Amino acid sequence: MMKQHFLAAAVLASALTAAQQTTAEELSIVCSNEQDWCDLMTSAFTDKTGIGVSMVRKSTGETLAQVRAEAGNPKIDVWWGGTGDPHLIAAAEGLTQPSTVDTSELLGWAQRMADISEGRTIGIHLGVLGVAYNEDVLKEKGIAPPACWKDLADPQYKGEIQVANPNSSGTAYTQLATLVQVFGEDEAFKLLREIGKNVNQYTKSGSAPSKAAARGETGISIGFMHDMVKLAKKGFPLKIVSPCEGTGYEVGGVSIINGTRNFDAAKKFVEFALSAEAQSLGPQVGVYNVPSNKNATLPPEAPDPSTIKLIDYDFATYGSSETRERLLKRWDEEVKGTDN
Amino acid sequence: MKRIVFQWIATGLAGFCLIPWYMTDSGFWRFRWLGDLTLSENAPALLQVLLHGRFWLAGALIALVAAAIVQIAVKSPVRAARFTAAIAAAGLAWTMLQGLIIVRSGPRLFHDLLANTPAETGQIGFGAGAAVTLLGLLFVLTTAISGMGRGRGDAFVTGMIGLIVSLVGIFVFYPVVHILISAFQTRTGLFDLALFISRFFDPEIWGIGCLIGQGGCGPAINSLILAIATGAGTTLLGLAFALIFTRTQFIAKPLLRVLSVIPIITPPFVIGLALILLFGRTGAATELFSDIFGIEKSRWLYSFWGIYIAQMLSFTPIAFLVLIGVVEGVSPSMEEASQTLNANRWQTFVRVTLPLMRPGLAAAFLLGFIESLADFGNPLVLGGNFNVLSTEIYFSIVGAVANPARAATLAIVLLALTLGAFLAQRRWVGTKSYATVTGKADSGVHVGLSAGVKWVCYLAALPWAAFTAIVYSMIIFGSFVKLWGYDHSFTLEHYIRAFGTKIRDGVLKFSGVAWDSYFTTLKIASIAAPLTALVGLTTAYLLVRQNFRGKSAFEFSTMLSFAIPGTVIGVSYVLAFNFPPIELTGTAIILIVVFVFRNMPVGVRGGIAAMSQLDRSLDEASITLGANTFTTVRRVIAPLLGPAMVAALTYSFVRAITSVSAVIFLYTAKHNMATTFIVGRVENGDYGLAIAYSAVLIVTMLAVILATQLMLGRRRLRRETRIEATGTTGARV
Amino acid sequence: MRDGTGKGSVVFTDVVKRYGDVTALKKLSLSIAPGELVTLLGPSGCGKTTMLRLIAGLEAATEGRIFIGGEDVTHLSATYRRVSMVFQSYALFPHMSVAENVAYGLTVSGMSRAEAHAKAEDGLKMVGLAGFGARLPSELSGGQQQRVAVARAIVLEPEVLLLDEPLSNLDAKLRRRVREEIRQIQQDLGLTTVYVTHDQEEAMAVSDRIIVMRNAEIAQAGSPHDLYQRPNSAFIADFIGDANLVNCEVLEVGVQTCRVRVAGQEITLPVGFAAQGPARLVLRPHDLSLTTEPGPARFPASISYATYLGSQIQYTIHGKLGNLFVIAPPVHTPFRAGDTVHVALSPEKAMLVADEPIDT
Repeated sequence: MMKQHFLAAAVLASALTAAQQTTAEELSIVCSNEQDWCDLMTSAFTDKTGIGVSMVRKSTGETLAQVRAEAGNPKIDVWWGGTGDPHLIAAAEGLTQPSTVDTSELLGWAQRMADISEGRTIGIHLGVLGVAYNEDVLKEKGIAPPACWKDLADPQYKGEIQVANPNSSGTAYTQLATLVQVFGEDEAFKLLREIGKNVNQYTKSGSAPSKAAARGETGISIGFMHDMVKLAKKGFPLKIVSPCEGTGYEVGGVSIINGTRNFDAAKKFVEFALSAEAQSLGPQVGVYNVPSNKNATLPPEAPDPSTIKLIDYDFATYGSSETRERLLKRWDEEVKGTDN
Repeated sequence: MKRIVFQWIATGLAGFCLIPWYMTDSGFWRFRWLGDLTLSENAPALLQVLLHGRFWLAGALIALVAAAIVQIAVKSPVRAARFTAAIAAAGLAWTMLQGLIIVRSGPRLFHDLLANTPAETGQIGFGAGAAVTLLGLLFVLTTAISGMGRGRGDAFVTGMIGLIVSLVGIFVFYPVVHILISAFQTRTGLFDLALFISRFFDPEIWGIGCLIGQGGCGPAINSLILAIATGAGTTLLGLAFALIFTRTQFIAKPLLRVLSVIPIITPPFVIGLALILLFGRTGAATELFSDIFGIEKSRWLYSFWGIYIAQMLSFTPIAFLVLIGVVEGVSPSMEEASQTLNANRWQTFVRVTLPLMRPGLAAAFLLGFIESLADFGNPLVLGGNFNVLSTEIYFSIVGAVANPARAATLAIVLLALTLGAFLAQRRWVGTKSYATVTGKADSGVHVGLSAGVKWVCYLAALPWAAFTAIVYSMIIFGSFVKLWGYDHSFTLEHYIRAFGTKIRDGVLKFSGVAWDSYFTTLKIASIAAPLTALVGLTTAYLLVRQNFRGKSAFEFSTMLSFAIPGTVIGVSYVLAFNFPPIELTGTAIILIVVFVFRNMPVGVRGGIAAMSQLDRSLDEASITLGANTFTTVRRVIAPLLGPAMVAALTYSFVRAITSVSAVIFLYTAKHNMATTFIVGRVENGDYGLAIAYSAVLIVTMLAVILATQLMLGRRRLRRETRIEATGTTGARV
Repeated sequence: MRDGTGKGSVVFTDVVKRYGDVTALKKLSLSIAPGELVTLLGPSGCGKTTMLRLIAGLEAATEGRIFIGGEDVTHLSATYRRVSMVFQSYALFPHMSVAENVAYGLTVSGMSRAEAHAKAEDGLKMVGLAGFGARLPSELSGGQQQRVAVARAIVLEPEVLLLDEPLSNLDAKLRRRVREEIRQIQQDLGLTTVYVTHDQEEAMAVSDRIIVMRNAEIAQAGSPHDLYQRPNSAFIADFIGDANLVNCEVLEVGVQTCRVRVAGQEITLPVGFAAQGPARLVLRPHDLSLTTEPGPARFPASISYATYLGSQIQYTIHGKLGNLFVIAPPVHTPFRAGDTVHVALSPEKAMLVADEPIDT
């Protein structure tokens, strides 16, 4: 009897404590970029500084939700990569803190992001919005590829266009905001309704449409060009179009979480992430977006900003919660459901 | 009774005086704390009180000592028990409250009272010492309660009830309340019931447009239809498999067994991807049908049907695992009795065998129903524009616009559906006795299936098995080709990248990118699985064999964590366990805990189904022969629950490996999980690596399952499992 | 009552058992002496099994106290009571061999494996199953399983042995043999035994004392002979042995005799009775005889059925006393169905009970 009780107590206690380990003196980074890019940066940073890093990859939405839940006692030090909007939201909610890193080497759009957020998040790369089509599918169906946003409203593309739902995807929200900035709000929603008639599915994830287009599950996708480049590089018959009316872009960010216990190491990482040295590593692992450091080498596959008509994307306005909620509400009412 | 109380008092004192009270930074098992036991961080509570002025911790000590005094001083056993219970309860409450009030940043309440005390510097989360002390107090309380005559005076029973209730309270209710509460809150944080009601009954959630032919349905209706279809479908298919397996002389049983089990050991997204490559617009099967029959290529897969097929593939094995034990357990003599009463095989099957399996069928349906409701991966990949609750909840939390109130509301809707199914199930099973394993041994032979039933089973199960085989061939194929779905030239590159090894300086190095998460996952799953089975089956035992107040509520609460979507659980765990007193985020414990409490309902359901087949007189015989309840459970009940135990163990192991949504917020770089790794690769479009990894996981899990089955095996109730020969010569009366 | 405090005694004082609104036992007191074999007899639902389970500790009493061997066990759990039980279903552990089953109680109470198995073998020998230890319960016949269950219970040398309808699953021939064996073992060991059955013949055969239960209380307790010869109610008369119950009216009550009117005749019975008015006459089938001659205390009737059983002839007759069941010794020329006869009752063997319904 006696033995049994102590045994039971021991088992329970060890079960409770078996894996008890708390954070060691390591920099904890959440990476919202692609896995290989995350891994490469981790080892490059550790090689350079000797600071141990434990890096984990999570999508921006997941990271934001986690950072919110952990507010006050964060377990993450740095959030690196992913679309800029969630970084800006986190900055606005005070979940991140200014990194006080020198931004003079950076391109204008990256500095602007730092300005908007009072230094809480800084631009690391630029992702351009584009349209991709599956060459084989369009050839088989005998339809011409689109060249402009307006082309997408053409009934010949009925059931061939796939795009994400802006309620769940930052990519799709960027597209929505871009069209509003290019055409004006009313005109943009009219166009979205018309395009909506051709849309076969509003996916949850922003990168899903291009993957579907790569495999021919849909003819045309809307998304970020660096995703499309990557798929095309793998060998899928994907052709990329930069819409003739001009297109928007997102700026990937890096932020230090408010309340971090490793601020100095975190700052070192941010400095490294913004350096030309680090940003030039991207193409090694198939990262084809535009780096924010002036001196970083631009990968030849990256969409060349000079050939693309970029709009002057207004992050301050379209990144704000008010505008966002208003536009999404209008999208829900006017666009959603016109597809079927 | 007295002796047991003293043992637990001693345990509690040991926790208080010898083991670090707080969570130590270097971890418990490295025993680095032994070196500097006096440090504020490492000190046991006794030293915390004496050296660091944390006087508020003394409450537990006072309670333990007081309980000991009462036990010695008070003569009347019933009165001593009553006093002891009160003291232990007070000690527990005090210890929990001090943890909730004095947090890392100092006291949250009673600022004046605690001014200029060490409380102002705050304290960190409970560690091993606190856990052992609380455990000691808890069992002092439950033992005392048994001394008051509750639970037939059985300290083991009251102890188990107390333990399970506390665990469910801490690891299910406490976190879940954190998030569900936001459904009742306005933007400014005020409570508003009317607002909740309007949110709950939002026509957007409950729209029935698809039923009346006007557009689509709301996610609640979609989920409900899908869950009923999946629950019914998986139960029937699972039954067909179980019957073929136990009641026929089908030749390829081992193959069938493997095929029927593989889908649950498949990481999420993989089935969906395989289906797309088969039935998508450019899928292999679609191309084939288009070439041969000229059927137009379409996107039909991205709808209800795609999710339904994927869920049927994924969840039929669960029904099978639950039902096989039940089908085996139906006593042959009852079937023989039926036959001697001139019932033919068909009548015997329909009127005797099926009704006896009712609890099993109900359990299988309920599991399928809930799994379908909570399933997240398949709707995400195949959903198209068919919205279900689980994905809506996920995107309410992580979408471009985070809306925790909507997520909480939808989670409550989902819970309401689960509760409905649970109650319906209880009604249907009713209170009849389904005991078929009585202490009266029977040596009968299971009645073979009638030809009709047999062929229905074959027709349902075999094509399905073939389909599963094709899907999995696709997956294996996908792991060996360069670019799945496009460039099908052979390569081993994915495997080498994931699981490559190098020999450097004569030492084997696991250089592949997947090794790290692979080992972590196996470690965590193998810790979680036995705990899950233990907690689940213990709960089942309490529910079936013991009577106590609040049993129904208790039963439902054990289903709660299973019914809530993983994403919600994940976020609620972060909200609840990121801060003292229970600070677990960033550790592996939180992953283990979330697996144990998320998967325990499977053990509970399976255990209930299996245990209601065991005649109560078996336990009673053991008890009257002088065995205590613990021995009875260990030597009589557990061995007779062989299949249920295998099912619970296997399933919880597998779920710990394959579940993804709950761990998204909980895993860290140090404890990276295989599925999150795979999902990351899938998001990245790196299907080859993802699938190669999945294939390795599938093989691993298969090996573990087979080993478990060999080890725990079948119940040896009859010397051999005989099945009546089918066909005309086999007619027996 | 004999000794109520010695080893092996069982005492109930004012025990009440309720399940929610249902009362399973109404304030019951009784005492069982050490070494006594007491049968709890009664129709199903009368509370006899509840009583057994209360002794075993499988149910807790709602009120009152229970003593075993003089010790108050009201709050003691079944594990710690020195009581063994043989279940109706035998409750043999299907996954253990016969020897493991029998040794189970010994090993769980801490005896070494070898010792326990040696004792188990002794136990099996006692029930005539030596050498069966390695088999599984499913490989034994019903009677053998039953004996294993008995062996499992008695190897523990309990203070009290409880048997819950132990023979109900056996065929008639086996029943007689096994009940004799049980009685033999019980007497050899001097074991206090409580035996639940609904079969009165079984109860009569094995018991020192029978407690007949009805509607959650004791209807009558006594030796088999007492209950048969001196039933205190129509229910007992009907339940213990066969009885013909005939309505009558008590006209006059004396000290040792009373006069009753039955079917128009007045008879004097050599028994005392409490009150005048309607009552019932208990006539055992053996105590009736059939003649062709009318006379005093004889009543005309006709034979409905006649059954020849070798050792006796059973008649069902119909007449002025209603339907009667008569057992007669075999004669050369038995009556046949349709014959007209006279039933003779012997007043010295007739008994009187109160007129009350017996259907419970």
